[in-house]
Amino acid sequence: MSTTTPAPPTPGVPETPAIPPGRRPRRSPIAVVLRKELLETFRDKRTVFSVIISPLLITPLMLAVVGGVVSRQVKQERVETLPVGMVGAKEAPSVRDALRGAPGMRFEDVTQAEAEERIRARRLRAAIVLPADSEARMREMREVPVRILVDAGSDTSQAAARRLRDLFTERGRRVIARRLMDQGLSSELASPFAVSEAPLKSGGTGATMMLATFLPYVLVISAIIGGLYAANDLVAGEKERGTLETLLVSRASRRDIVTGKFLAVAAVSLVSSFLSIVGLLIPFYLPIPGLDWMAKADLKLSATAIAVMLFVQLPLAVLGAGLLLAISTFSRNQKEAQTYLSPVLIVVTVAAMLSMFLKAESSRLLALVPVLNAAMALKQALTGTVDVAFVAIAFAASIVYAALAIAFATALFQRESVLLKA
Amino acid sequence: MIEVHELTKTFQDKKRGAFNAVDGVSFTARPGEVFGLLGPNGAGKTTLLRMLATILTPSSGTATIAGFDIGRQPQQVREHIGFLTGSAGLYERLTARETVAYFGDLQGLAPEERDRRIRSIFAALDMEEFADRRGDKLSTGQKQRVSIARAIIHEPPVLFFDEPTSGLDVIAARTVVRFIRRCRDEGRTVIFSTHIMSEVEALCDRIGVIYGGRLAAVGTLEELRAQTGQTAFESVFLRLIGEED
Repeated sequence: MSTTTPAPPTPGVPETPAIPPGRRPRRSPIAVVLRKELLETFRDKRTVFSVIISPLLITPLMLAVVGGVVSRQVKQERVETLPVGMVGAKEAPSVRDALRGAPGMRFEDVTQAEAEERIRARRLRAAIVLPADSEARMREMREVPVRILVDAGSDTSQAAARRLRDLFTERGRRVIARRLMDQGLSSELASPFAVSEAPLKSGGTGATMMLATFLPYVLVISAIIGGLYAANDLVAGEKERGTLETLLVSRASRRDIVTGKFLAVAAVSLVSSFLSIVGLLIPFYLPIPGLDWMAKADLKLSATAIAVMLFVQLPLAVLGAGLLLAISTFSRNQKEAQTYLSPVLIVVTVAAMLSMFLKAESSRLLALVPVLNAAMALKQALTGTVDVAFVAIAFAASIVYAALAIAFATALFQRESVLLKA
Repeated sequence: MIEVHELTKTFQDKKRGAFNAVDGVSFTARPGEVFGLLGPNGAGKTTLLRMLATILTPSSGTATIAGFDIGRQPQQVREHIGFLTGSAGLYERLTARETVAYFGDLQGLAPEERDRRIRSIFAALDMEEFADRRGDKLSTGQKQRVSIARAIIHEPPVLFFDEPTSGLDVIAARTVVRFIRRCRDEGRTVIFSTHIMSEVEALCDRIGVIYGGRLAAVGTLEELRAQTGQTAFESVFLRLIGEED
């Protein structure tokens, strides 16, 4: 830069005072802007809360609450004794014998009318209705039609009905086995297949599925909006307080100013998304009361999963920073920025939410959809089904979108009609 | 030294369509001179100063500031000007010292030189007492002194003051006026824009009367009085802009 030597003064007019020495560009204006913005941003309590405290605290807390509620409910369902009505069992002692000792169920003899009324009143979960000739049918080894009365509008009633169906299948098999043995045949005739499930260690448990469903959403949102307060403050806030103009008349070029500001917002977003990953890892590795269910469920995050998280989160944070900065630049003041932000945040939220309903192994075309691609890659990481090509495409696509967002914000920042509208 | 030649700025407005906020303005301001830019609100003063400060690009016309062309050498122009407006704010979460240092850094000052100048400016403006207080804890008058310090940290040969006393009480306004005099005495070129007649009479060596984007007249106070045949400055002004009764 040849800025230290002023051009020769116009002939014939008095010379302006020479610029005194000491003007030696030491640091790039970009670095100066970046340093100041970070200093100011981290003095803002809102930013400190949303960038540091919230990701480190809120994510584990949410995990604890959600996990606690879900596992308690599952446990409760497992140990609870369900009251179930029996219609016509008095006349069918052999059916009653076959059902004796059913785990988690307490049978009550009722009439059909009583059963219906009590199921509606939620005093019975469900009821079975046996035909009047049940005993005779059992003796003659004919099929006994069993109807299950169920309240279709109640989850607990349907769960009870499911358990009843399982019970009849299991006890039916016992009846067949006894009949076969009575005939001197092997009980194995009734069950040509012996099927059992062997869950793989890395294949993920039910709890993993739950985490994989909502964690990508949480992580993606935190990466995008981590820099929200900083971005609003950095341009719209400066317009509002009348400091932007003083910045524009300094030696720094607009490109340098917007680059410094962008780097500051990106740094804040990166810290936020990094800490949200750290916040997620804490309950995996530290025995915290309330979060021990994760350890008990044998949840592990592999090194690959963590690497994939960082890999997709970081460009996403940069994309978010560019987007937030563009909105902030376009807005007259912080209030207006909030208004423009709302529809953008809704689109981002919906894109992130879509990941909850899509299978982890989805079309690679989805890797091109911004935000959703990151959420899907995170889901793959958490379920241990990483598709390397998908993650690579998602990473590349996010970088392209981030570059577009930065270019857009930079272009806006050069426009005087945008900068000076007040 | 400031030389302005036929400077024009056209804006697009929903109501008015295309209109010239500044319309063919030419004048010269010399070192050691306070050039007053007097006009009512909306006359084009701020737009004119923003073009000279390279924040706005002129639609046509040129100007040179300290020998640099505002269109071709905007960065050199910005290095040689200080800009102070009445509407400018401060960074709330930076201290007075940090704010001034920030602008010193942006102007490319070496840290030792920057700190030396901060010490001397803070002493001259009596700012040591609140030097390490945050922007949001300062009084209006203290803020204004920080703004002045910020505008002159790089010792610019040309200074623009755009309504610098608006919103200030008498004592704070007096600080600004004294400061402008000092700048003139140090041989700097000063442009002082205002709509307050008494400030013009008290401070300006030459005056440009601006109205509707056009420069209606330029001259010393005496020349303008002679031109209009009026003695009271308010009458001089009204006659020049063609609004006298």
